[in-house]
Amino acid sequence: MLKAKNRLGLIFFPAYDWAISPTHPEREERLLYTQDQLREEGIFDIDGIVELKPDIATEEDVMRSHSCFPDVKSVTTESHMISAGGAIRAARAVLDGEVDKAFALVRPPGHHSMKSVHGNRGFCNINNESIMLEYIREKYNKRKIAIVDTDCHHGDGTQDIFWHDPDVLFISLHQDGRTLYPGSGHLRELGGPNARGKTINIPLPPNTSEEGFIYTIDKMVLPILKDFKPEVIINSAGQDNHYTDPITNMNFTAHGYALLNEKLNPHIAVLEGGYSIQGALPYVNLGIVLAMAGIDYSSVKEPDYNKNYVPQSKDITEYIKQLEEHVLNNYFNPAPDIERAPVGEFTVRRKNIYYDTDGIQESQQEHILICNDCRGVLMIESTASINPPCIGIEIPVNGCKRCQEAGHKLFEQAVKSKEYMTVLLTDRVNKVYKNVTQ
Amino acid sequence: MLLGIDVGGTHTDAVLIDKNGIKSTFKAKTDTKDLFNTIITALKEVISGVNVKEIKNINLSTTLSTNAIIENKLEKTGLFISSGPGINPENFKIGDNTYIIDGSINHRGSEILKLDTSALEKDIKACVKDGIKVFAAVTKFSTRNNMQELQISDSLKNNGDFITMGHLLSSQLSFPRRAATAYYNSAVWRINSNFLISVIDVVKKMGINAPVNILKADGGTIPAEASKSLAVESILSGTAASVMGITALCKITDDAVVLDIGGTTTDIALFASGVPLIEKDGISIGNIPTLVRSLQNRSIGIGGDSVISITKGEVKVGPERKGPSAAEGGTEPTLIDAMNFAGITNHQNKEKSIEAIKSLSEKNKLSPSDIASKSIDFAVKKIKDEIDRLLFDVNQKPVYTVHEMLQGRKIIPKKIYIIGGPAKAFEQVLKGDIKIIVPENHGVANAIGATLAKTTFESELFSDTGKEKMMIPNIGIKEKVSQKYTLKDAEKDLISYTRKYLENLGYRDSDLNIEVVESSSFRMIEGFYSSGNDIRVKCQIKPGVMMNLYK
Repeated sequence: MLKAKNRLGLIFFPAYDWAISPTHPEREERLLYTQDQLREEGIFDIDGIVELKPDIATEEDVMRSHSCFPDVKSVTTESHMISAGGAIRAARAVLDGEVDKAFALVRPPGHHSMKSVHGNRGFCNINNESIMLEYIREKYNKRKIAIVDTDCHHGDGTQDIFWHDPDVLFISLHQDGRTLYPGSGHLRELGGPNARGKTINIPLPPNTSEEGFIYTIDKMVLPILKDFKPEVIINSAGQDNHYTDPITNMNFTAHGYALLNEKLNPHIAVLEGGYSIQGALPYVNLGIVLAMAGIDYSSVKEPDYNKNYVPQSKDITEYIKQLEEHVLNNYFNPAPDIERAPVGEFTVRRKNIYYDTDGIQESQQEHILICNDCRGVLMIESTASINPPCIGIEIPVNGCKRCQEAGHKLFEQAVKSKEYMTVLLTDRVNKVYKNVTQ
Repeated sequence: MLLGIDVGGTHTDAVLIDKNGIKSTFKAKTDTKDLFNTIITALKEVISGVNVKEIKNINLSTTLSTNAIIENKLEKTGLFISSGPGINPENFKIGDNTYIIDGSINHRGSEILKLDTSALEKDIKACVKDGIKVFAAVTKFSTRNNMQELQISDSLKNNGDFITMGHLLSSQLSFPRRAATAYYNSAVWRINSNFLISVIDVVKKMGINAPVNILKADGGTIPAEASKSLAVESILSGTAASVMGITALCKITDDAVVLDIGGTTTDIALFASGVPLIEKDGISIGNIPTLVRSLQNRSIGIGGDSVISITKGEVKVGPERKGPSAAEGGTEPTLIDAMNFAGITNHQNKEKSIEAIKSLSEKNKLSPSDIASKSIDFAVKKIKDEIDRLLFDVNQKPVYTVHEMLQGRKIIPKKIYIIGGPAKAFEQVLKGDIKIIVPENHGVANAIGATLAKTTFESELFSDTGKEKMMIPNIGIKEKVSQKYTLKDAEKDLISYTRKYLENLGYRDSDLNIEVVESSSFRMIEGFYSSGNDIRVKCQIKPGVMMNLYK
């Protein structure tokens, strides 16, 4: 009888009755064949592997990481709350010691959801990993957490949410933004003025294969993680780097994903994208499950592997080797932010965000207070094509007294001004969440 | 008149029931070395003085296959598996003669790698040389495409007496379970089918002209004729007999717990809105999971004869049984002795119980009354904890749609039904917030259940309309369908094919009440275009009884 070396919790929520639209890649059958494969392999009978039912995330869980305009209900469906709840259940299972590791195979995905939310972009409404991470910080007294995003698309949402947070290390490996949605994730994006070097982007060239991914993990990701010493490691386990994926151009494999996961050794993995639902997902998910459980995965191989998988070309290998120095420098000697304001003042960043799925255009002005005692209060003024001006004010976890006062004052001023449809206050110190919508 | 025999580990019960209720019962000690003789004796006794022509049905629950498996009295069986990519198939070897053949079918039922027929031939030769006569063929995803199992079976057909093909056991996915189930089915085939032939023969000779059915772990029956090739279906049917007995004896409409308390163990089963719960995946033999459908059931080592032990002042009961209670002439005090001491029961020789508890008290620094009360508390806590665990697991069962997730139906028992020898005693000690019921005739509930259990069945249809394919693996149906095949068509087909199959096999229940329990249709997209529908429909005949005995 097979026995898992690591006790593994699987939260499987395929949402068989939810889709973005009937022919959209993010549709009902996406995890059907994965479930077939896992069942046929007898995964759920393996001693040490347990299947856990997802929680349903609460509005407060969502408000810890997002400013939803006009409110949480308007930008989410029940399916999103269950998907995020699945990630939360994974975290609970690990941090309560029920299991050693957990994998949330949930949909819809979340890593393109940013701090401010007006709708769906990149198939995502709310960010499952960040909601989970904030849950962990709130309930389990953990401070330093790392998220390694191995989805083929840049995890721009997760990057945005933790951009200013020096306690969260966010590393994204993805197909170079010059060749794929969402177009971001360049080397120069390395975190806000208070958190330089805590956002690390590794844009890989199209057609990167097993060799390139494993090289990136060994030479870039692992040394950075070793230095950061996170208390919890989370893997945003998108599976669209696979050579059969219909909407990307990478050349990764099920075996490669399993090996990557083994090396990364995350406490929790959360499924993100991956739309080769017949040719890749059943095998990639199987590989990841076995790797996390510490079971031999050497026989996991796509049926068409010998026919369709191509090893990496020399120039790609060379290109990735050249990335190494830049990436390590970004973490170990990050260049200072030239736009950083003096202490006690706000650094301002302007952003235009397009929600491709819902066709919403958002413009933002983000203000972060430069503070020596905490991460600094954050204020986002946002106008979207579907919403008049809104504003979200966030007092961070461990926010200092001055930033707490500043946050409350900004909130009162904003409400009084009557310039905004919705004014949100997220006070992580006192766990107060306010929404004033006119 | 309906006749039922339940062969248990220690006792064999026979019951005859007519329209007025129980007509006669008989209890005999089970002779595990000669089950056939035990059954014949019970049969003769229970029908003495009865006009055998009036017997319309015979149900039999036996431990024959179960014992053969547990005692490892298995026929040497050649298991042929082909698995394709995934977990290393070496892990699924069972018995000493598993052959792994190259070949692979994927999750869509497409053949990815042809079966290595030369290796197959070579291995078959080795089996023949070894004198192996029974076989099992199991390939991964054979419930989506059975061609490789058929191929293996074809190559074997002139070399053996019996072969089990995995896809005929169940439509459910789980290659390891399918391999184990097929292996056991073949390994007990001969002993089971010889036994059934003898039973059918004797019944005829007694002048009884009634169908013989065999009880299964899911609380239903299968015709003896059909059971010959599905021996494994008859394993672990004992608890199911008791649970079905309860449904005949009591009108259960709510969520409820059933406790079947014996000498060594307590079995716990659950009812949801009056219907016994079925285990989602299938029962395990020891620690080997199978595809054999069963009622949701937990067994713990607490029973009337569970021995009392004291370590470092801590009083424990069970899980071992070291012989009968002191009251029945045993050497060590048991739970029943504690109950005798506490005045809850008046079982056999009460003085012996008191003596045994006192003697245990002298060896430890605990008063006899403390030992007795702590023993009872321990047993009660064990049982209650296990009920809570079972409820937690059942209520935590994952669901896969937003709709079910939000509905969140939870089982909250309103009553506990207790049967078995020490039922009355436990009624007193388990008393609390929840209502406890010990039905009349609870001592033969098992045989009543065995007698009255109706046929059960389960089958599942898969269709890939893009490929114009439809199949119902476990009843051997494979058809071409049109691309316009709908979920409605599939539901209709499944029910009518299943009915035809059951009628041919001699299922004679007047109402083959086949109901659709799961039904889904997924639109498949390849590239960005629709490539047909993935249709899945599951139907069942749920467990039930032929008549009720309550008023």
